[in-house]
Amino acid sequence: MREQISRLMDGDLDGAEAEAAFRELKRSEGLDEWTCYHVIGDCLRRNGGPTAGFASRFAARLDSEPTVLGPAVAQRQQPSRLPFAWAVAATVAAVAVVSSVAVSMLDPQPTALAKAREASVIRTAQPKLQAVSPDYLLAHQEYSPTTLIQGVGPYLRAVSAGDGR
Amino acid sequence: MRAMHRSGPCLPWIRQALLAVAWLALVPAASADDAAAWLDRAANAAQKQNYIGTIAYQHGGRFETSRLVHLNDQGREYEKLVNLDGPAREVIRMNGEVRCYFPDTKVIRVEPRTFRNAFPSLSPQQQAALTDFYTFRMAGRERVAGIETQAWVFEPKDGLRYGHKFWADPTSGLLVKARIFDERNETVEQFAFTEIAIGAKIDREQVNPTWPVTPPDWQVRQSAPEDLKDTGWTVTRPPPGFVKIVDGYRRLRGAREVAHLVYSDGLVAVSVFIEPIGAVAHPFGVSRQGGVNVFVRQQDDNLVTVLGEVPVATVRQIAHSVARR
Repeated sequence: MREQISRLMDGDLDGAEAEAAFRELKRSEGLDEWTCYHVIGDCLRRNGGPTAGFASRFAARLDSEPTVLGPAVAQRQQPSRLPFAWAVAATVAAVAVVSSVAVSMLDPQPTALAKAREASVIRTAQPKLQAVSPDYLLAHQEYSPTTLIQGVGPYLRAVSAGDGR
Repeated sequence: MRAMHRSGPCLPWIRQALLAVAWLALVPAASADDAAAWLDRAANAAQKQNYIGTIAYQHGGRFETSRLVHLNDQGREYEKLVNLDGPAREVIRMNGEVRCYFPDTKVIRVEPRTFRNAFPSLSPQQQAALTDFYTFRMAGRERVAGIETQAWVFEPKDGLRYGHKFWADPTSGLLVKARIFDERNETVEQFAFTEIAIGAKIDREQVNPTWPVTPPDWQVRQSAPEDLKDTGWTVTRPPPGFVKIVDGYRRLRGAREVAHLVYSDGLVAVSVFIEPIGAVAHPFGVSRQGGVNVFVRQQDDNLVTVLGEVPVATVRQIAHSVARR
């Protein structure tokens, strides 16, 4: 389900799959997930990104006037597909945040949102990570018929992509 | 009578059309044997010829140049590739293994090279797939790196593969340019020599690694050869023409044991890696390294990584049809 919602936001689902994902969104659990992803997306895009100390201030205010992160708020957010897709591709680590934060968002604690923002801001500050380990590319290259006719040239795919670690 | 009269003038047109169809059918449609023979010649030249040149690698708006030297010394192959832009990288092929040097991070990756040992030529099945799923035809003569090359095209018959165009030196058969293109005829990836000396005299020193002795503070990551045995995994819906050529276990990063299946249509391959999902964060979804698309997903407690020189839809389809036999 989590994957379906993520793929929906990436514009990655066809008609029938999208319908199923929309049905999922009508359940409150699915909607939480969707909201959570958008919070992360906003953070990654730095749309009015949080200022210093935002997380603690936000958490404190939430504590003083407990507000449920409700569907009405979520529906007003406009999904903007491309920047989100870019953000996910550019910061591979975001996916890890998505998983961990999505779980924490189901937690009714008001600090969950603050945690989500903090976590994704920390992740985006890290250097761009490699999409896939060269292990896989190198192991694949040995069996690719392209190696037969092009020699070691195609190994550039694996070595130019990363630093070998 | 009237009908006959009407049909009369049509006949020359029909004849012409039929002739045109016959001509079209005859001229560009090379047979599976032709495609396989052409690939054999290119593979043979890549092994036997001695050559040195500068290669331009272009992908996703990026452009990198490298120096490539190839030597066949009494049946033994030596190859050295050094990039000229960005952090230094070096790929050395010697004694059947491939070593990749990353001097900035002090890492050497050693890969046992099994394809050329295990699959010196295409299987009859793969040969048939070549023209069942690609239209193989001769294209024009084009000048590349100062050579009047002969171009050849493998045009896909479905949306599950990319198109491939190759430019070969007509004398030796050696490829001097290779381009992968998508359904809009846009370049996905291209390797092209900007200058090359085929049949050049190459000395052993020219193909030796820059670091013949591993510096003491460098890390050597040796990948174990494939342990070819039944993994119990399969792809239930491989794209038509893709035949399983490898089923085995692979140790990646020296430790993890990963099931590795390879499917090939004769021109390209798709690798499927299945491993228990760990605590490490994984780049789920689609990513791309030049002409290779990658799709990573979680399936139950397993991490499924699918990659190959095929469009995104193909790696995704394969990733979603991995199952236990």
